[in-house]
Amino acid sequence: MDTLQYALRKLVTGIPLVLGVTFISFVLMVYFGPDKTYELIGKNATPEQIAEIRSQLGYDEPFFVRYADYLRQLVTLEFGYSDSTGERVSRILTRTIPVSLALTLPGFVLGNVLAVVLALVAGFYRGGLIDRAIMAGAVVGMSISFLIIIIGFQVLLSSSYGINYFPVRGWEVYSLADYLYYVTVPTLAIVFVSLGYNTRFYRAVIVEEMNRDHVRTARAFGTPPIKLLFRNVLRNAAIPIITRIMFSIPLVVISGSLLIESYFGIPGVGKVTYDAITTGDQPILKAVVGATAVLFVLTLIATDVMYKVIDPRVSLK
Amino acid sequence: MLNRNPRTLGAVAASIAIALLAGCGGGGQPQTNADGTPLKVYRHSMDGAPVNLDPVQSAVVYSNFVVLNAYDTLYSYKYLARPYELKPNLAKGMPEVSEDGLTYTIHLKEGSGFIDDPAFPDGKGREVVAQDFVYSIKRHFDPKNRSQGAWLWQGRIVGLDQWKDDGADYSQDVEGLKALDDHSIQIKLVKPYPQLTYTLAMGFSGIVAQEAVEKYGRELSIHPVGSGPYKVERFSTAKAVLVPNPNFRQEPVDLAAEGFDPAVHGDYGLDAIDGKAPPFVDRLEIDFITETASRWASFTSDKEVQFTSVPVEQIDSVLGSKQPVTVSDAWAKRYHWKSGVEAGFIYTYFNMDKPYFGYNDDPAIEAKNKALRCAMRDAFSWAERNERFYSGIGTVFPGIIAPVVPEFDPSLSEASVTQHMEKAKQQLRDAGWTPETLPELTYGYSSAVFYRQVFEQFRGFMNQLGFPLAKIQGRTFATFGDFNKAIKTSQLDIGGLGWGLDYPDAENTLQLFYGPNRTPGSNNPNYANPEFDALFEQASTMQPGPERTELYRKMNEMVIDDCVAITGMSRNKVYLWHKNVVGVPDREILGGFWLKYVDVKTGGSEE
Amino acid sequence: MTTTTAETAPAPRKQGESLWSKAARKLLRDRWGMTSLVIVLVYLGIALGVWAGLWGQDWNTLTPTINAEASAEHWFGTNRNGQDIFERSIFSTKTAFEIGLVVAVLSTVLGAIMGAISGFFAGRWPDEIILWLKGVLDSIPFYLFVAAVAFALQGYAFSMHVAMVATFWTTTARLVRAEVIRLKGFEFVEAAHALGVPEWQIISRHIIPNTTHILLVQATITFVSAIKSEVILSFLGLGVKNGVSWGLMISESTNEVTTGFFNNFLAASVFLFVLVMAFNMFSDALQDAFDPKKT
Repeated sequence: MDTLQYALRKLVTGIPLVLGVTFISFVLMVYFGPDKTYELIGKNATPEQIAEIRSQLGYDEPFFVRYADYLRQLVTLEFGYSDSTGERVSRILTRTIPVSLALTLPGFVLGNVLAVVLALVAGFYRGGLIDRAIMAGAVVGMSISFLIIIIGFQVLLSSSYGINYFPVRGWEVYSLADYLYYVTVPTLAIVFVSLGYNTRFYRAVIVEEMNRDHVRTARAFGTPPIKLLFRNVLRNAAIPIITRIMFSIPLVVISGSLLIESYFGIPGVGKVTYDAITTGDQPILKAVVGATAVLFVLTLIATDVMYKVIDPRVSLK
Repeated sequence: MLNRNPRTLGAVAASIAIALLAGCGGGGQPQTNADGTPLKVYRHSMDGAPVNLDPVQSAVVYSNFVVLNAYDTLYSYKYLARPYELKPNLAKGMPEVSEDGLTYTIHLKEGSGFIDDPAFPDGKGREVVAQDFVYSIKRHFDPKNRSQGAWLWQGRIVGLDQWKDDGADYSQDVEGLKALDDHSIQIKLVKPYPQLTYTLAMGFSGIVAQEAVEKYGRELSIHPVGSGPYKVERFSTAKAVLVPNPNFRQEPVDLAAEGFDPAVHGDYGLDAIDGKAPPFVDRLEIDFITETASRWASFTSDKEVQFTSVPVEQIDSVLGSKQPVTVSDAWAKRYHWKSGVEAGFIYTYFNMDKPYFGYNDDPAIEAKNKALRCAMRDAFSWAERNERFYSGIGTVFPGIIAPVVPEFDPSLSEASVTQHMEKAKQQLRDAGWTPETLPELTYGYSSAVFYRQVFEQFRGFMNQLGFPLAKIQGRTFATFGDFNKAIKTSQLDIGGLGWGLDYPDAENTLQLFYGPNRTPGSNNPNYANPEFDALFEQASTMQPGPERTELYRKMNEMVIDDCVAITGMSRNKVYLWHKNVVGVPDREILGGFWLKYVDVKTGGSEE
Repeated sequence: MTTTTAETAPAPRKQGESLWSKAARKLLRDRWGMTSLVIVLVYLGIALGVWAGLWGQDWNTLTPTINAEASAEHWFGTNRNGQDIFERSIFSTKTAFEIGLVVAVLSTVLGAIMGAISGFFAGRWPDEIILWLKGVLDSIPFYLFVAAVAFALQGYAFSMHVAMVATFWTTTARLVRAEVIRLKGFEFVEAAHALGVPEWQIISRHIIPNTTHILLVQATITFVSAIKSEVILSFLGLGVKNGVSWGLMISESTNEVTTGFFNNFLAASVFLFVLVMAFNMFSDALQDAFDPKKT
């Protein structure tokens, strides 16, 4: 009961955050965003036709009317139709979000699991050669641009200059085999780019835990490494690790896939968002930004509530 | 330049991988008909995706291509005759035109039906009638449809513009656009419009059913309901899958009437379709693949798409010679091929609105500006533009009458499209321009890498002419819409553009320089020459013929002499398609119409 | 970019000076740190040379040889326009430093001010507002936000810089805020309060100077983030407007690598990688040097 109340209270504090996000993104993406009018006009448009389209798109409405309209859409979850394809925005999202999840989830999971494992190893051998090798690898990984990784993997795995086993682009998934065929290269790229950052972060957390007295004591008493790491270290390091993972989720769903999807031509929500940015398709942008903001705030609240459940000492501030 | 072996090996490896994977997965599509005969599937590819399949918004070539297969039009073009020739499609014959050229009467064929769709009672597609055509054109004048094609008929059809101003009420009749009965249409024009019939062969005039518009609303754009040869079964920005429309009229192909020439088309196996009624394939798949490398890989794997245009990067390895364009023997043995010049051209325009660059109240400055523009044109090398970016196979021509139209004049002097750097520098000096006094000019382009490189080449030429680098400023636009806005609001000084012809008549490119069409219309340079405008108006009501052609050529020379643009070049494309495909692809004026005739040979392996 | 700071919280100290001299001593002993510093300085030298017009000026000159392989005349070959890839890589160094420095300096300054205000007034309304703003900025996906800012400011040469500064300051502000809250409890701040020194003076004279080591480390991290983001933004068409950058070169190369021309791609990626790597290592060395737990 107490927890529920706490969650509800948190939910209320989330409202100004959602309002802020929607307001800023509205100002940036909608109000100052690209002008769709000149994409829609015919080859020989007259000023009247241009005015007509502007009015159709609602560009001639005053600022606050448009913002209020956005908030109404956000509450009713009714975002209308794409200005490019004419497809219902809700239909676009339900079609593309599963694709993005299927695309990024394996890389996301692998990237985090591998990083935790590497961090445990590095933390266990802290200061030793293995630790230094892993950390040097992490710095190298962090220093390579995501774009270079994507292009590099594509050349190595999908072109005739490499092993050429995987598609250059596309997403024609009807079976598990298709799925593996299309998902492998993006997954490798995602793992590679996130591994360096994740490993460093998790190592710092784990080293902190290793320095605690009870771990030192356990180690001194000769607890086997695996048991030590899993029972004494990982359990206590779980909170920061889970927090990090949870906070990456909204970003994984949307922006994490933006680059991958636009490069590999995969029809996920990242590609749709990217196309919406570059064509000024505001109904889609509004929906995506609104959804991300709400998702983010919900994650924030869920994390707080989780802390509370795990550790009752967290003050109910 | 490249060794071919590794690629072939790679393709083999890829196809093995695909075969293995597909083998264990089973794939998602049926491979045979219900009676067990193998399914005839033709897989087409395009280098871009349509965003919208509503005829009123089919301005983009990719949209138009698919729209023409899903929707029926009154007229179309003969499959094989070149130069392009109109022929009746849903219309029974060519329009009956009154003596004064103002009244057109068109009779429709009977028994052509819409696809079966839940929009119709009992889900059965009904017959197409004259009222459907009237409704479809009216839709362009209904503001809520955001028509991109209304300009074709604006101010031309009696009462249509008024109908729009009166609130676009479909129950109101339009004086100049009437169904006389279920199978007769009458169009009344304000003034003669010889290009009208051409407009009735465009995707814009595709015939929609009011029931479907009412049922699907804006989502008609992804769910086409038409009476064309095919029905769109599935559509995304990656792929469209079409199946034959069973209610499409049975109309056997008459190859001779389509312009069949054994010398040109003899090798394509077209006799197989003579006398049979299209469509012939059981399924038509169109893959939209923007990245050239993956399109090429998909085509050369021999398992996927059966058609491609040859990407610029591959031209050197595929072609046997460039002048004329021929494909090397090895490739010609493997695939059918065809090369064709585009129906359109690319040009770089100068904005005449700018007093430091174009028109000026002071005649002395105006003359000086003209000298500057002419010098810039002479400093520009079409040969290098062609070589670097279009594999050196584009067709460079002076002026704005492109090689694809009948009014093209091959004897015109090449001086305006040849680089004369010394002459250009001299011109600048004579007019009194120095690096210090040269104006700072803004060149706009959309931010894709290709256009940035094109810009850098342009700036390089101007740099050689004497412009300091900083005086040719690039301005990038991340969206086409914003680029277009900058052009249409006259913000830029220079911009690189392309124009695709809507119909094979030079009027379509001459109007790009007609004064009253100034921005936001299609006259991007804001060219305003009263002499040109008078000739244009005179020619616009004339029927094709030598008199009109002469006026066209006079206008063309004015544009060249006034140095309003650096123009132009028609790009050339080389197409390859698999040997088991029966067809002659076309992406220009005929466009999507040819897919109606495509057939695929089954059984019997290829060499 | 936010992950490397877990070890930066220093323990209380008696005098500001000893931290710096100790750090300098530790840094000078750190072989890897010094090597990376030298590499960064070499890059800086290249950038300054371009800026002064000593080299890298021919990045836009067209030559008749296109997509040429490496040769004595063109060290890294030429691109599709016959432009020298080496010259372009060199010129891009300047572009990278321009972006890195502008973004690092501005976002650090902004982060310091916001963080200081936020920490000083912890729990009161200025803090609430700044925390809310940070929460809001953190809730918008980074590339979406940067793209949106770049669009909104289209036509301005610095739209990309503004976008990055607007997002990067939040991390610095968070760290500074925590440090300030800690510092507030110290005697010298409390003493200043008791003496009636105005609050803005306490912030500017006593608090911000004591956070400089955090700011320095944070600035190096931001620098790296900025030049890495430029690559992505240039690929998305939202990056550098005039001139050339590694990001633009890499995006030029995207069509070339699949046909076997790697020069553009390799030149830009190697230049970028070495600089980022050196900067990352230098940043680590700097953190270690300021970390009182390490000797």
